[in-house]
Amino acid sequence: MTRTVARIGLLVTFVVGLAGPAGAVAPAPAASDDTIAVLRHQLEAVQAQLRELAQQNKELVSRQAALEQELRQQREPASPAAPALAAAPNASIPVPSAATTAPTPSASDKVRMWGYGEAYYANPTSDHTKAQADLARAVFGIGYLFDERTEFNSEFEVEHAVASASDVGEFEVEQFYVDHQVSDRVGVRAGLFLMPFGMLNEHHEPTNYYGVQRNFVETLIIPSTWREGGVGVHGNTESGIDWNFGVTTGFDLSKWNFTPEFPLYTTALDLENSDSAPLQASHQELALANAHDLSQYLSIRYSGIPGLSLGAAISTGKAVPVPAPPNAPLPDNQRVTLWEGHARWTPGGFDLSALYARGTISNLAAVNAAVPGSPNPIPSSFYGYFVQGAYNLWERNEYRLAPFVRYERYDLGASYEGTPGPAIPSGLVPLSAAPGQYGYWPRNQDRVWTAGTNFYVTPHVVLKADYQWFQVNTDFNRIDLGLGLSF
Amino acid sequence: MSRTDRRVAPFPAVRETPLGFLTGAALLISILTLAACGGASRNAPIPAANGLSSAAKVGQALFFDKSLSASGQQSCGTCHVPAFAFAGDPAVDHGLPIPLGGPHMDLTGFRNSPSLTYASFTPPFSIGAGGKVTGGFFRDGRSSSLAAQAMDPFVTPFEMANQNAAEVVERLRNSAATLALFSAAYGSAVLDNPDLALQDIGLAIAAFETEDPSFHLFTSKYDAWLAGKTQLTVQEQHGLALFNNPAKGNCTACHPSQPQGYSEHALFTDFTYDNVGIPRNWAIPANHANPVSPVSGVPLNYVPISPNITADAEYGYYDLGICGPFQPTASDVHARPDLTASPSLCGRFKVPTLRNIAITAPYFHNGAFVTLREVIEWYVTRDINNNVGNNPTPVAAGPSGNPYASGGTFYVAADGTPDLNQYNDLPVAFDANVNIGEVPYTPPRLAGGQAPTLTSAEIDAVVTFLCTLTDGYDPTNPAAYNVPAQCTAVASSQGSSP
Repeated sequence: MTRTVARIGLLVTFVVGLAGPAGAVAPAPAASDDTIAVLRHQLEAVQAQLRELAQQNKELVSRQAALEQELRQQREPASPAAPALAAAPNASIPVPSAATTAPTPSASDKVRMWGYGEAYYANPTSDHTKAQADLARAVFGIGYLFDERTEFNSEFEVEHAVASASDVGEFEVEQFYVDHQVSDRVGVRAGLFLMPFGMLNEHHEPTNYYGVQRNFVETLIIPSTWREGGVGVHGNTESGIDWNFGVTTGFDLSKWNFTPEFPLYTTALDLENSDSAPLQASHQELALANAHDLSQYLSIRYSGIPGLSLGAAISTGKAVPVPAPPNAPLPDNQRVTLWEGHARWTPGGFDLSALYARGTISNLAAVNAAVPGSPNPIPSSFYGYFVQGAYNLWERNEYRLAPFVRYERYDLGASYEGTPGPAIPSGLVPLSAAPGQYGYWPRNQDRVWTAGTNFYVTPHVVLKADYQWFQVNTDFNRIDLGLGLSF
Repeated sequence: MSRTDRRVAPFPAVRETPLGFLTGAALLISILTLAACGGASRNAPIPAANGLSSAAKVGQALFFDKSLSASGQQSCGTCHVPAFAFAGDPAVDHGLPIPLGGPHMDLTGFRNSPSLTYASFTPPFSIGAGGKVTGGFFRDGRSSSLAAQAMDPFVTPFEMANQNAAEVVERLRNSAATLALFSAAYGSAVLDNPDLALQDIGLAIAAFETEDPSFHLFTSKYDAWLAGKTQLTVQEQHGLALFNNPAKGNCTACHPSQPQGYSEHALFTDFTYDNVGIPRNWAIPANHANPVSPVSGVPLNYVPISPNITADAEYGYYDLGICGPFQPTASDVHARPDLTASPSLCGRFKVPTLRNIAITAPYFHNGAFVTLREVIEWYVTRDINNNVGNNPTPVAAGPSGNPYASGGTFYVAADGTPDLNQYNDLPVAFDANVNIGEVPYTPPRLAGGQAPTLTSAEIDAVVTFLCTLTDGYDPTNPAAYNVPAQCTAVASSQGSSP
């Protein structure tokens, strides 16, 4: 309907435009009366057409208003017996006020959709039989602008292609929040949202990072994609400081697996996907999350100098404790704290970045001491860092080639209380209950070199390739190929 | 991991078991019935404010009433003795690993009496994703509930040996004290319907096993240690670490030392089923051809025909656990299905709790081992010196009679010579069902290793830890703790408390 009105408007403009010059170029002094009469006649005809079009336009506007009214009536609850419902603001579809009769932007103008995803191939060089290809993520986002100050954003993700009771995949809600701008510089966000930690967590689309896989530090220490349910306040200053603080759900230690029979992961890909890192194993993702104790977070970022961005964040809160029998209660005051600092500098064609993240969990002595011999006690501290350099080597049209190198260190068990550390078996151990599969129990810390390149077909489509060297778990060395996109 | 955290209900009769739920539901129904009718003959008992409900009190009387058996000498408590954590007293029954019963107390059973402690936490039988089998009652899960299980021995020919429910009821009518309790709780009218009365008997015994704290004390030395009320010795603590270590004992894989959702406590069983290839026990008469009673010499003509036995099988009778030969009773409508047609499950038995394990010898469903040390010796060498693929000419146990010490095999034929069919309590066709993938079955053998996963000293340490799982530890009087000889035998001089 809007398009029809617009087309008529264009036609009117065109016709008037034609009529204008036609009158202007008329040779008035030399023209005969006949000619003038013909021109007058033509002008009258054009004026009649214009009147006719104007009338049509008026009718169309009227019909559009009537249709909108009809649509509004259909959308509003039909039954007068449900006043509460009728009075409640409709969260998904805006309803123009009853007084509105003029054409308004339609709902579709306010809906935003986007998506991203990545598929990759990982081939451990020590054991090619463990090569895997995976549609790791297919994510679709839906946003909605309620008004210029209030928006809704959501992302729905399918991990590993097929999500069912008998498949490895998952279907999950990654974000689901409302953000309201209370002033030009301050906003409030509530719902399930991504935590403002590190460089990757909030901007985890594959076009935003180097390497086929996300870096280990922002996977294992910062449990990207890390989201919590809660309320946050955010804002910025003229000097380039972004700040963000809030209250969210926290971590849950009650499901910790102290006595895994088999290694929790046997390849680097496994490590990333196994949810075995401390905060991966304990984040709640707002799935019937225990909310007895809430966590607090604060994030500060600075981008006042072009090409440089700095950031730091901290989150702390009491965790859901490890369950204990009533006749032998354990201390239940474990506090999980995670902090990070990062910097990114992009001088010329370079893209240089570094990040450090560290987590701690307190009061674990009695908890771990109750399970001597555990290959997987809860660590008191864990950390990781990386430094990364990339360079825009070649660019033509939208093609861009950006090789990079990254060194990272992660330690998922930097210190322990109540135990000397994980009782990691030496020698070959069974990798599953199926006979015949043996391997080494991996160490929970490593130093990893990654070298590779991103090749952007467009800024939204990237092909990636890299090689990773693991200094400790050398079995994890691998070749990765990937395809990523975002729109 | 998705676990159901079942909290203990404040209502004493409704504990965290399916049976508790049934009892609770029965109570609710009965209360409603009472309200409607002003008292009905089949009213289920109302729990007492303190202690046992009236149902549990009936169950207690039934549990120990020998007059309800054909022989007049056997009750539930005969084979499930309180002093032995409700398992069998190894000193009775002529030292057999299985109980004697029948009208003349001369008929042998087939399986070692399991401990009833912690049985009330058993979940219903289920076959889950990937074929994982869990729960159910009896060692083969053939009964759907503790109550259904408790009914069976009354009418089993080689146990309490009543012909049918009517005979049980007749004996109950003649047992004045038990009858009085029963009638007070369930009314007298139900006795005219023996099948229903036997169901009430089952429910009452189950209520006793569920409510009476002595069935689930959680008062072991291990529990006291968890509570910080005592210390484990260095050796005991080392034993626990080996128990948990996936490359050493790996015991926790099936006997979890962590709560699994069935209770807030660790139960040291995950209630799953496994086939561990236990040696045939020749002390069980049924394991011989043409078996006779070792007491009276009468033929044991009730020995069943095992399912899926091929003509070339070594022996005629095998106890194959979950696939037979013992099947659910027809009246137990919620019982597990007949799994005869699932030969891949043959040989699996339910994982028992290890709580009170030190006082519940002998071990395994067939009582093949007398001590815990022997059990672990067998576990860690099963696929080394016993394995004919690994050791083509296994030798018999040496003069000491200890296959572990002498490098001999635990698998012997009836005449004591090494049995070249290693898993000799299974037909060869089912050897592939035996769990060989997990520690401590010395799987690294397949990867080139030959050493048992536990050394002799480590075996001792694990045994000393298992000895801390016996209920009844008083931190204020540790000397009174029940420490059987097999525990003191392995405790080392390093074992003093730190």
